[in-house]
Amino acid sequence: MPGERAALIWGVVATILVVVSTIGVFLVAPEDADQGVIQRIFYFHVAIAIASLVAFAVSCVAGILYLRTRSARWDDVGEASIRIGLLFSVLVVITGSIWAKASWGTWWVWTDPRLVTYLIVVLIYAAYFVLRSSAEDDRRMRYSAIYAIAGFASVPLSFYSVRVAESFVHPVVFTGSGANMPGSMLIWFVVSQAAMIALFIALLEVDLVGRRSERALRRLALRLENA
Amino acid sequence: MSRRRQLAALVRKDLRLELRTRETIVAMVLFAIVMMAILQFGFGTRDDDLTRFVGGLMWVTLAFTAVLGVGRSYVAEREQRVLDGLLVSPVPRVVMLGAKAIAIFLYMTAVEVIVIPLVGVFFVQGPYWDAIGWIAIAALLANACIALSGTLFSGLALFTRARDLILPVLFLPALVPVVIAAAGATHAVAGGPHDMSEWRGYCLFLLAYAILFSLVSVATYDAVFDD
Amino acid sequence: MSGGSQYVVAAYAVIWFLVLAYVVVLGARTARVGRQVEAITRMLDRREGREGDDGGGGAD
Repeated sequence: MPGERAALIWGVVATILVVVSTIGVFLVAPEDADQGVIQRIFYFHVAIAIASLVAFAVSCVAGILYLRTRSARWDDVGEASIRIGLLFSVLVVITGSIWAKASWGTWWVWTDPRLVTYLIVVLIYAAYFVLRSSAEDDRRMRYSAIYAIAGFASVPLSFYSVRVAESFVHPVVFTGSGANMPGSMLIWFVVSQAAMIALFIALLEVDLVGRRSERALRRLALRLENA
Repeated sequence: MSRRRQLAALVRKDLRLELRTRETIVAMVLFAIVMMAILQFGFGTRDDDLTRFVGGLMWVTLAFTAVLGVGRSYVAEREQRVLDGLLVSPVPRVVMLGAKAIAIFLYMTAVEVIVIPLVGVFFVQGPYWDAIGWIAIAALLANACIALSGTLFSGLALFTRARDLILPVLFLPALVPVVIAAAGATHAVAGGPHDMSEWRGYCLFLLAYAILFSLVSVATYDAVFDD
Repeated sequence: MSGGSQYVVAAYAVIWFLVLAYVVVLGARTARVGRQVEAITRMLDRREGREGDDGGGGAD
């Protein structure tokens, strides 16, 4: 099966990248002059944040494709990516909270746009599963697809509204012109970013393989009952 | 019938129904007043002068009032089986969407005509009435946002189990950016020196929100009532 | 540990704990599918055995 092979390949790629990026982040990358060791949280904190946005983008595209084709496969892709994206967003909130404790001494800072935005994102996508659990079959897939699209539209709105309202407390790492960190740090950031995206794809593929076998099993059970 | 006449007929139907019973708007206004009293009792023990919080008090009240109003917006359609007739009639879905959004917009505006002056009376010590025009413009923009996203989400919640539970869970996270921006715009002009550039920034954000959600709604609304 | 490195370790540990928990959930689902396949296979075995008895022919 091609899905199984994809899951295997992406699993291997993700494992290698995660190991390499962990070694790089903790042993090779230089210590940040201002923030010291705390800055090392940044590598995976931001990488997971961006990977979660990729996951939500995938779910939005899957929603559009579901409404076009009405094929249950796209519903699977959409739900699986939102589940992983939600997991990643929760991780962003937790690691961001730990970062806030380490650098400002409190677990929660309402003036930090990234933390607050991701809290809203978690709420938006947690509601997706509430919606899913209260409708069935065709309607559930349709509503989920619509909500995935509308949810992805609210993500940039939440980002922007929080940033309009708050002053930047977080270190501005990416400026408009590009990254303002030295190349020796940037390279490890890029590697951790690749690792997190590979992790997303691997989890997604594994999830999809599982869903396919579950669906095949259900068909088989139905056929046996009828026989 | 042309689309415009269909739209006008549907809006007229909603308004006539409301004028006959008056149940939704009266309930929304009462709810908003109770809400303001609760907020005052919650905060007032700490500070006599709540002018600094006027935008927040106003828009927390209006956001929850909006949930109440949006939740009622399809009641007639569902209970009197109007929807079945509408869905088999040759009215395009996008006209239904527009009519419902206009009705919600008008309900919210009617409530605000009472609530926004009351907020000034209850909470503001200092200049307020000279800024009422600017607050009204921000409120109209916010109403457009509430109407557009509210129509989409109440359409989604309409046929789910536990409908009354689903709507706030879907709708409120999407309302967070609107509350941030509308409260920010109100803060910028109420109870002190006017900061027009801040007000303009928030109003532009509300406009962007309304445009984005109208695009999402138009693109997906066909699929909401697809059975 | 000095200079807040315990926070870095905590953040990293949380990430891997939750990702692992997610993988365990996926694994649990795979295990459930496996159990059901087993149950269906057993059911089919039994049914074949019974058909064999009814027909009088030997199943083995």
